[in-house]
Amino acid sequence: MKHSTILLVEDDYLDVVSVQRAFKKLNIDHTLHIAHNGVDALGMLTDEKSKLVPDIILLDINMPKMNGLEFVRIIKNYYSLKNIKIFMITTSGEEYDRIAAESMGVTGYIIKPLNFKDPDSAGTRKLMEELLQES
Amino acid sequence: MSIRSQLFLGFFIFILIFIVDFFVNQRLSRQVLQNTNYISNSETVIRNSNVLHKDMIEMQSGFRGYLLTGQEVFLQPYFEGLHSVPPLLKEQLSLVGSSGQREKLDSISNLHDSWLKYANQLISTRMDTLPESGKRYNELFETQLRMEVGKKLNDRIQLMFSAFDNDEYHLRQERRAALQSTLKYTRNITLTLTLISIVMALLIGSYFIRSITRRISLMVSLAEKISQGEFKTIDDKKDDELNKLSLSLNAMSQQLEKNFEELTKKNNELDQFAYVVSHDLKAPLRGIANIISWIEEDHEKDITPEIRNSLGLIKGRATRLENSINGLLEYARVGKMKKGSELVDTEKLIAEIVDLLVPKGYEVIVENNMPVLNTEKLHIYQVFSNLISNAVKYNRNEKGRIIVKAEELSDAYRFSVIDNGPGIQPQYFEKIFVIFQTLQERDAFESTGVGLAIVKKIVEDYKGTISVESEPGKGSTFTFTWPKNKEDEA
Repeated sequence: MKHSTILLVEDDYLDVVSVQRAFKKLNIDHTLHIAHNGVDALGMLTDEKSKLVPDIILLDINMPKMNGLEFVRIIKNYYSLKNIKIFMITTSGEEYDRIAAESMGVTGYIIKPLNFKDPDSAGTRKLMEELLQES
Repeated sequence: MSIRSQLFLGFFIFILIFIVDFFVNQRLSRQVLQNTNYISNSETVIRNSNVLHKDMIEMQSGFRGYLLTGQEVFLQPYFEGLHSVPPLLKEQLSLVGSSGQREKLDSISNLHDSWLKYANQLISTRMDTLPESGKRYNELFETQLRMEVGKKLNDRIQLMFSAFDNDEYHLRQERRAALQSTLKYTRNITLTLTLISIVMALLIGSYFIRSITRRISLMVSLAEKISQGEFKTIDDKKDDELNKLSLSLNAMSQQLEKNFEELTKKNNELDQFAYVVSHDLKAPLRGIANIISWIEEDHEKDITPEIRNSLGLIKGRATRLENSINGLLEYARVGKMKKGSELVDTEKLIAEIVDLLVPKGYEVIVENNMPVLNTEKLHIYQVFSNLISNAVKYNRNEKGRIIVKAEELSDAYRFSVIDNGPGIQPQYFEKIFVIFQTLQERDAFESTGVGLAIVKKIVEDYKGTISVESEPGKGSTFTFTWPKNKEDEA
């Protein structure tokens, strides 16, 4: 079984717990790294010592310092990082946020709350497939 | 210069031209009168001259007749002439104008005097019967008559008269020519001044018409632009009464533009505010709901029914708050979503809504005169779907019934949605259209109190009206108007 690495970029503690609980319910045991905003996440990805290269990034949009969309724009221009699968997990139901994210090549767009028990969006089902396939 | 002064100046120039015209005409008519007087004078002079000459010739004939015959009866014209000639000469002298003519008259008078002296001598010596008188007469007869003294005088008088008459004729001719030319000159001057007056009148008139109408039409177009929401200004540098109007129009336009910009800014701020509030309020709310479900999951066996009940209440309130926030967000968004108008068949639209919202067993009557509108489909859809969903939501009648009607007005349609639900008491007719106002207990119905507020906002955005008529227990009728043309939209 491949032990995949996941980076969760989320500023709200409750949402972090919520993702952790969702993973636990699915019984998937991935390594979950957590960053609290886009700047911290970018620091972790580009740090020579840690050499963190996650398979999946779960990304909030509304965050302090650097928002999710700006983060995506930077990652997609980084040769070594541009193939990482990115899933947006956001409260923003705004159509223009979704269009902006999808036009920059994110893999899925999920509106909170993340719910694996009763997946009601294409984004959630896609994320489940990815997680189960790689574990 | 003010328009009043300009008008005054225009009339002043006009009146000036007429005054000049008047004086010139008067002077010329004096000339005409003078020349006419000269001519009639001259005619009298010629006539007098003829009479004078005739009298003198008759005196000469009488004188000659007397000398030949010795009969005194021949002397009658001579004596008459002695009386008639001097006053005639005097009158002539007063009538003639030129000095040349006066000299001629003087010399005629002198010659006549000489002749009288000569004739008088001969007549008196002839009349006297004394012998020395006869001797004297014969002597005079031989030295003077035979020497043609009298004849020579008469010839000179004759010459003088013809010169006098001739000159008078010439003079009269000259004056007649002068009269003609004065008349012609008067005509020309009057014609010229009249033409100048007409041209001036046209110039002044067209100047006013052009300058005033051009500016008024500028103002009219500005007012039209303002009414269409284009806040321009006009450039009017003249300093007069109209300029004040231009300046106030400009000031009004600028003030309107400023107010409009501020209003737009405030509206945008309000939208932004509603959006931010909705998002920032929803996040912690969802957090509360999450924590409650975690407590329920993690401590399923430990929690007592009382605690479970309390947790359920918390979740219910959180859900209600979330619904309110969603409603607020929806209300704030009304009118912002615009795709452009399209032809909407309201009959089909209502059929769709009924299909989606009305449970089986309801009697739905849609009258068959439903119009086709050229409008924003989403907006009319929201209005009908909210009204129909309300008609269903509160209806506890076993045989639910909904009637939809349309009526054509001059520039709008009036739609009615009629139900046989519980009805509304008159004191709530206004209140139900206010956001977050519901007449039912919050938890008994899934109602956020936003639906009718949204309907009212949309209808009023289209400059329409909405009202309700109802009798408790018998149902309600919601009536709203919708414009016929897209141009009538807000």
